[in-house]
Amino acid sequence: MPRLILLLIPTITLSLLLLLSESMRFDLRSGSTKCITEDLKRESMTVGRYSVINPITDQDQPLPQSHHITARVTSPRGNSYHYGDTVDSGSFAFTAPETGDYMVCFWAPSHDPPLIVTIEFEWNAGIDARNWSNVARKGHIDLMEIELKRLYETVRYIHEEMFYLREREEEMQQLNRATNSKMATFSFLSIMVCLGVVALQMWHLKAFFERKKLL
Amino acid sequence: MDGKSCRRLQSANLCLTFSFLLHFATQSASALSITVNKEECVSETVLFPGDTVSGNFVVIDHDIFWTPQHTGIRFTITSPVGNQVLDVKGTSGHKFEFKAPRSGAYKFCFYNPVAAPEIVSFYIHTGHIPHQHDKATDEHFNPVNVRIAELREALHSVTAEQKYLKAREVRHRFTNESTRNRVIFYTLMEYVLLAIASGLQVVYIRRLFGKSIAYNRI
Repeated sequence: MPRLILLLIPTITLSLLLLLSESMRFDLRSGSTKCITEDLKRESMTVGRYSVINPITDQDQPLPQSHHITARVTSPRGNSYHYGDTVDSGSFAFTAPETGDYMVCFWAPSHDPPLIVTIEFEWNAGIDARNWSNVARKGHIDLMEIELKRLYETVRYIHEEMFYLREREEEMQQLNRATNSKMATFSFLSIMVCLGVVALQMWHLKAFFERKKLL
Repeated sequence: MDGKSCRRLQSANLCLTFSFLLHFATQSASALSITVNKEECVSETVLFPGDTVSGNFVVIDHDIFWTPQHTGIRFTITSPVGNQVLDVKGTSGHKFEFKAPRSGAYKFCFYNPVAAPEIVSFYIHTGHIPHQHDKATDEHFNPVNVRIAELREALHSVTAEQKYLKAREVRHRFTNESTRNRVIFYTLMEYVLLAIASGLQVVYIRRLFGKSIAYNRI
């Protein structure tokens, strides 16, 4: 029994630390919208969490209604993946069906006088989205092995990203070559147009002057 | 008594190391894009003094078709006590890395001097490497964990570099597409203007040599 308690304390600290770990904070003025976009790859898992920081330092007091925000997560096509209406915290998790910019927008209701709502937001995608502590506990894997596994996944992800960047650079090179050849074509065409216009002018004026019996 | 307490300590240590590693394993951030209208601030908490905070940002210019090149935005980093850690003006992208002298909430702010909103893609990462003297009392602390943490930090820096390159590539692509559009548009405008100018020339000459030619020679 005492051993269980001893095991429980670090687990609680762990969960608390995980809650406190890496998340960013930003301010939202009442009545305004703020959107954060992230580029996600196809079939990549993503997990996000947001919560409003209570302006009142006394933790027992519930969050005032004026500080409840509305959040919505949209895909690049416009589908909504998560909608939290007038909530003080929430979370979302989904697998991105296609590559593109996924946007999460926060909206604070209007209030007079205007107040500032502080939101704590965390968005993890890809490797970070996986719950490594669960994987470890389920498989009874050695902790060092789990760390190395995670590092290996990171390296694989970096490798894939390099391929993606290479592809994009190839596309850009094609685009630049196409623009280059377009410029050459258009310059040549502009000389042709100029000569054509000159020829038209001369033909038309010659006919005009001959008609007027000046030539 | 000794054996039992040792075993108890061992399991507690294992749990502590486990939680320690996993805690720092979750420290990471993804590249996020925000629209900066006038001022946008983001704050990140640094948990331990001496942590390295690294990151980068790139301004992604969408509307560079008509408007001239953007003057750039201003980026500042403020420490929890109020000192300015970094202040760069008129940039379209920057990479930074500094060792946080104290723990607390660091504020990263973007200021846009122009009325047109700009999209900024940024990435901020705080990394901690557990040192030997952090766990001075723990005999079972494995120095391999320090190496693993260092390796993880190195990989994070590679990832940060990649995200920077990706954002720069997006910006570069917008520039190139805008160049192509401008080439096509300006060339077609040039043709149209040439045709109009020559048409006007012909009309003017016709008017000059109009009916009155026989009477007033020009």
